Amino acid sequence: MRRAKAPLLILTVALVLADSAVVTLALPDILRHLDASVGQVAWVLIAYNLVLGLTAVPAAMAFTRAQPRIFSAAGIAVFAGSSAMCAVAGSIDVLIAARCVQAVGGALALVGCLELLVAQQGERRGVTSWVTAGVVGTALGPVAGGLLTQAISWQAIFVVQVPIAVLAVPAALAVRALPTVVPDRHRPATRANLTLALMSAALTAALFLLVLLLVQGWGRSPATAAVTVSVVPVAAIAARPLARLFLPPAEVEIAVGCFLVAGGLLGLALPPSASLAWTIAPQALVGLGLGLTVDRLTSAAMEMRLPRAHHAGWTIGARHVGVVVGLAILTPVFTADLRDAQVPAQQAITSLVLDAPLKPEDKIAVAESLGNELSGQRDQVPDLHSAFATLRLDPGERPAAARLERDLNAQVERAATRAFRDSFLIGAGLALAALLTLVPLRRRRPS
Amino acid sequence: MSAPRWIAMPIAALVLVCGVVGVQLANGGGTYEPLRPADPCVARQVTSRADGIDGLTERLVLLGIDGAACRLHVSREALTLELAQADEPTDAQIDALRSGLHTAVRRMKADGSLPPASALVDEALESSDLNDLLKTLIRALPDSVIDSALKTDDVLTRAIDDLDLRALLADVDDQQALEKRVEVAVTGAVKDSLEARVRDLA
Repeated sequence: MRRAKAPLLILTVALVLADSAVVTLALPDILRHLDASVGQVAWVLIAYNLVLGLTAVPAAMAFTRAQPRIFSAAGIAVFAGSSAMCAVAGSIDVLIAARCVQAVGGALALVGCLELLVAQQGERRGVTSWVTAGVVGTALGPVAGGLLTQAISWQAIFVVQVPIAVLAVPAALAVRALPTVVPDRHRPATRANLTLALMSAALTAALFLLVLLLVQGWGRSPATAAVTVSVVPVAAIAARPLARLFLPPAEVEIAVGCFLVAGGLLGLALPPSASLAWTIAPQALVGLGLGLTVDRLTSAAMEMRLPRAHHAGWTIGARHVGVVVGLAILTPVFTADLRDAQVPAQQAITSLVLDAPLKPEDKIAVAESLGNELSGQRDQVPDLHSAFATLRLDPGERPAAARLERDLNAQVERAATRAFRDSFLIGAGLALAALLTLVPLRRRRPS
Repeated sequence: MSAPRWIAMPIAALVLVCGVVGVQLANGGGTYEPLRPADPCVARQVTSRADGIDGLTERLVLLGIDGAACRLHVSREALTLELAQADEPTDAQIDALRSGLHTAVRRMKADGSLPPASALVDEALESSDLNDLLKTLIRALPDSVIDSALKTDDVLTRAIDDLDLRALLADVDDQQALEKRVEVAVTGAVKDSLEARVRDLA
């Protein structure tokens, strides 16, 4: 247990922050399994980030008056229990409630683990481990969630967290850390936290919208989407060694990171086709930007500020409020754009069916079948395959029908991609706004 | 004094972003959108996989929808979807469709794609309920006689005038009912056309 203490605490920090986006790829499965609406299922994601963002600072305030190991162990235990509750939730309301409790436990665990890691590894190494675990957890969350959903089920996402968190409870209790009574000497780092909030909103756009585009828009499986978005964490991990080659000042590194995320989101807004390959380079830019900014900003917001737990609370709050703001801005935009995309998509489908090289009676049959499918899949990107699967065609007509199905799917992918464009561009705007916060404000000299 | 090493970092970032976005745009990134509907007022070539009367009907309908959409200032796709989704077509849509079909007949006559009546007689007789003796007699007539007695464009124009387009649209997913309505309209049009011909001769 002695050697496992720090790794278990680091893993817990990564888990809590991965939970911010871990369910993104599981949302369609949760929607179906719990018979929920799109609006309700979005709250599985929003509720966690909102509660974590709002409770982080009060948790940090409470921490200074508590025994660190008891406080941390209690937080981790609540996180473990509520993760189990998420896994067995039989309704969307129970799942959302469990996610709220999970976020409260997560806030306590994050603040507590920071102090325990510092007690265990020393100031510099402890803070670095805490910050790095957060970045890796954030970047890997959607990938891990997608793979677990595809391989087992959405419940598996929560089940796997339980044993890790349960093992982390005795690990937390075993750390000898004394309560640190430090007067509240420093104000929160407003600028670093604001930049962090805006970057979190922009990164939410990148991860959340990209997985939705891949799964809902382009019809890829959660596993394929998970493997595809793994470019982001890989690039994020590569960012730090690459940055060391240039020895940049922290502000330059953060500014470059913001610019790379904006550029990556611009690239994601403009794919030339629905091929996964076109998302790789933009994702690499986003990942490099993530690796250069989030840990630097978190460190900048906490460096030389005491009490450490308070400032950690502010950074957690800024990050997760940023995620919620990102979701709040982007969700209505892309849902409205998806709705608006239905008309051009239907018109493109109609055009191809009218001109299809099929016999007139087969065209009518295809049109009728497509009409039935499309009316049954309102407000969703349609799956046209079942419309063709139920058709009875002459064997001679099947190659033309297969070609038509391919062409229609291509039109649907085009319409879905176009529908996501504005949201990605807004995400790029958020990253540029984060860049603007780095511009030094000139103070007027007294005359 | 040389520039600090870190200057290369923002430059590298700028090159990377411009490179990625440039390659995306050069490959059509800004224009990856659904097919835009064509202007229905611009004449288009229509083809059909079917032969005979079915092929002729399909080409007429496709050109007719174009003409109707042009009259209504909407795309043919928008008109098709409106007709498919609405419970009842409006009077303006019915008028535009009829007018579009008439224009289609004139256009096909002008470009020579309208087949002579003799080319359609056999197929029409097969599906008609005339008695066998009459069918044999008509089949025995030389093509030149049929073509001089019946003009395809005249028959089609009369059939379009007689067709109950509202009922036809309601039956669009019922192949048998659709064929029956067209057959009744075409048979009536053939009779009217022959009568008019006889009247002209007299």
